[in-house]
Amino acid sequence: MSAEPLISVRDLRVGFATEGGLVQAVDGVSFDLAPGEVLAIVGESGSGKSVTAQTIVGLTRSHNARIEGSAQLGGEELIGASERQLQRVRGERIGMVFQDPMTSFNPVYRIGAQIVEAIRAHRKDVSDAQARERAVELLDTVGIPNASQRVDSYPHQFSGGMRQRAMIAMALALEPDVLIADEPTTALDVTVQAQILTLLERLNRERDLATILITHDLGVVAEIADRVLVMHEGKVVERGELDDVFYSPADPYTRSLLGAVVRLDAAPPLRPRREGENLLEVTDLVKHFPVKRGLLVNHEVDRVRAVDGVSFSVRRGETLGLVGESGSGKSTLCRAVLQLLAPDSGSVRFEGREIAGLSRRAMRPLRREMQIVFQDPYASLNPRKRVGQIVAEPLRLQGESSGTELRGAAQELLDRVGLSAEHYDRYPHEFSGGQRQRIGIARALALRPKLIVADEPVSALDVSIRAQILDLLAELQKDFGLTYLFVAHDIGVVRHVSDRIAVMHEGRIVEEGPADQVCERPSDAYTKQLLAAVPIPDPREARARRQTIGSA
Amino acid sequence: MAAFTLRRLGEMVAVLFAVSVLTFLIFNVIPASDPAQSMAGKSATPQLVASITEEWGFDDPLPQQYLTMMGKIFSGDLISYQGQENVVERIVEGIPATFSLCIGAAVIWMFFGILFGYLSAVRAGGLLDKLLTVLAVAGISIPVIWLASVLLYYLAYKTGLFPAQGYVELSEDPVDWAYHLILPWFTVAVTLVGLYSRVLRSNMLDAMNEDYVRTARAKGLGERQVMTRHVLRNSLIPIVTLFGLDFGALIGGSAILTERLFGLDGVGLYAFESIENLDLPPIMAIVLFGAFFVVLFNALVDIAYAYLDPRVKLGSSAR
Repeated sequence: MSAEPLISVRDLRVGFATEGGLVQAVDGVSFDLAPGEVLAIVGESGSGKSVTAQTIVGLTRSHNARIEGSAQLGGEELIGASERQLQRVRGERIGMVFQDPMTSFNPVYRIGAQIVEAIRAHRKDVSDAQARERAVELLDTVGIPNASQRVDSYPHQFSGGMRQRAMIAMALALEPDVLIADEPTTALDVTVQAQILTLLERLNRERDLATILITHDLGVVAEIADRVLVMHEGKVVERGELDDVFYSPADPYTRSLLGAVVRLDAAPPLRPRREGENLLEVTDLVKHFPVKRGLLVNHEVDRVRAVDGVSFSVRRGETLGLVGESGSGKSTLCRAVLQLLAPDSGSVRFEGREIAGLSRRAMRPLRREMQIVFQDPYASLNPRKRVGQIVAEPLRLQGESSGTELRGAAQELLDRVGLSAEHYDRYPHEFSGGQRQRIGIARALALRPKLIVADEPVSALDVSIRAQILDLLAELQKDFGLTYLFVAHDIGVVRHVSDRIAVMHEGRIVEEGPADQVCERPSDAYTKQLLAAVPIPDPREARARRQTIGSA
Repeated sequence: MAAFTLRRLGEMVAVLFAVSVLTFLIFNVIPASDPAQSMAGKSATPQLVASITEEWGFDDPLPQQYLTMMGKIFSGDLISYQGQENVVERIVEGIPATFSLCIGAAVIWMFFGILFGYLSAVRAGGLLDKLLTVLAVAGISIPVIWLASVLLYYLAYKTGLFPAQGYVELSEDPVDWAYHLILPWFTVAVTLVGLYSRVLRSNMLDAMNEDYVRTARAKGLGERQVMTRHVLRNSLIPIVTLFGLDFGALIGGSAILTERLFGLDGVGLYAFESIENLDLPPIMAIVLFGAFFVVLFNALVDIAYAYLDPRVKLGSSAR
């Protein structure tokens, strides 16, 4: 990679003037990018990695932004360039792909029309018909089946993976020299992620495309990056070839980041085998959602088989991990188990007692025995209530205690989950994502439940925070003898915490067994596919695996 | 689409039935509304009143009276108590004036509402935005009756710049037609221009933060294209909904006051007179006329919505 750099960034600084003073989002970032090279910019949320990339193409448009430094594209300075100049660069010379392909397409235009728009913005001499033909060709290149028809689909008619392929097709419409991919696979399922990464790698190889890959996921980095830039609080803390950064990181932050990754292939801490009676037994549970349409009276035309005959059991004190991709029915299953949704049929026994079909009233005393922790710690805490009130609410609702007693109990809970008693009077927005998840856990703990259903409890969190929350959950399990039903899409995380794993696919459990067995000797084809798709944050392993797949 | 139309027709029948029954009942419980008495005049003999009652069937049971009246509305031979003229014909005669007022006002309010909203949003926080905000809030707050009075006093009576009263057929003289309607149009439009520009402005400011707007910029589109093709286009969807509802309601009755103030001989003025005289047959017919347009425009809004937003399906139960 000794070619002339295509992009050359020097001492880039981006600050945002806020009421509390200047916030330096990007603080002196420099790097070069050569044609055909994949540069990964790695960092956690708020590290400035996205702002860096957006600033290069002039998309940091906020009025309070203070931008300094230099970013050159083939010798042409982009910082401070005119809007007209930047418009020519965007799309034409630098293509961009964003995180969420659902929201990144305009929902009211057809996919093809949006690609045509990108082409015609730069090539006035190309007719609509020619541009459309080109769009079909591009969609075909990125692997959209039946492209000549799908070109007229609307974004919502595509699956997540297809949308991201289309997004890549659009970014490549004018054969740019540089592709900036900002968390391109973060919103996707792991099997789809593997396909998109393969596609990006292929395009990079075929077109000698210089790629800037922005991600928080070290597994993704190990799969396709040539060089790595690690960012932390706006600064580059580590830079180097892929292997150097992974195997001999110089910076303590990089080391902690690498250490925090929960690896699928690393043997998790040994857990004693749990024997004993079942706390929760689920048999043949079914929950379908009818799709209704009709003239005067709605009748059912189809049904979504969200949970389609699921059986499993969880022993007292054990953790059952439930893995599945989006749409597999795992969240519906959680809700049906807790009777937050009435199941269509099947049985749910808690401590030997049938709870499926119990009335709201009859369920009420049982609610204290089983609690839930939600995925999104931002949406699941009422922003207008104080943290103490949120944590104490279950106690209040169950008529447990009152006044000062409540306050004391809430403060003790906050202390127990690693927050402090002074946090009682604060509001949720004053906390970080990880702290909010601790609040959610404290709330779930308030009634000393026997069973906690954790629905994707760490998937919205940064890697380093993730490990802390998993440790907290493990510690609480030991101290309170909790039983967990741990639901996640990330089989690596699930393996790390679970005694046994159940794999869910299209409303059914396709495989169930001890964690090691499911992860190392899977018997089901879908489980195998799922495991093979998980990126391994280890460049050598990743290369070895690619070669096996390539030669197979 | 067929299912949707059928469903909507069913809904329309139900709404019209409910509205007409309610109007009929309200009329019959109002004290001192005996139509025979008022038709017979102030110094009528009881015999005359009795014979009118007999002739018009005011003694029949209410359901029968209701059915008779509805039958006459739909066969077109409903006769009013006052002046004994054909109600349906009078309404049809009033339609050109009412439609001229409503459609003209709608063109003005949509044009300026969208223009001002767009300019405000694109220049958010700037001087133009602040000026337009003040104007919009003023427009929303001004009562129609006050605005009409001021306009009439200064622009018609005092200076004679505009005619104060009356309606001229479009086919007769298009220029004079517009000349007579300018003040009424303006009166109806002012409030709605204010409202629509505010709604559009906030919709657009929300839309500007959408990911697809960033994508549009990343494609290298010019700022004007980004604003019109992406931000404005998507922000107009709720405006269309609002427009359908407001326009239906305007034809269905909101124009009454304006027609009265400017002496426009339309359905609204007829409604005003009939209510003054407690004249049931025209009131019934006009209420049905209004309800019909409200329901019709509600249905049109749904069709427009499905057309403008491909994610929306007509007639699905998720509606």
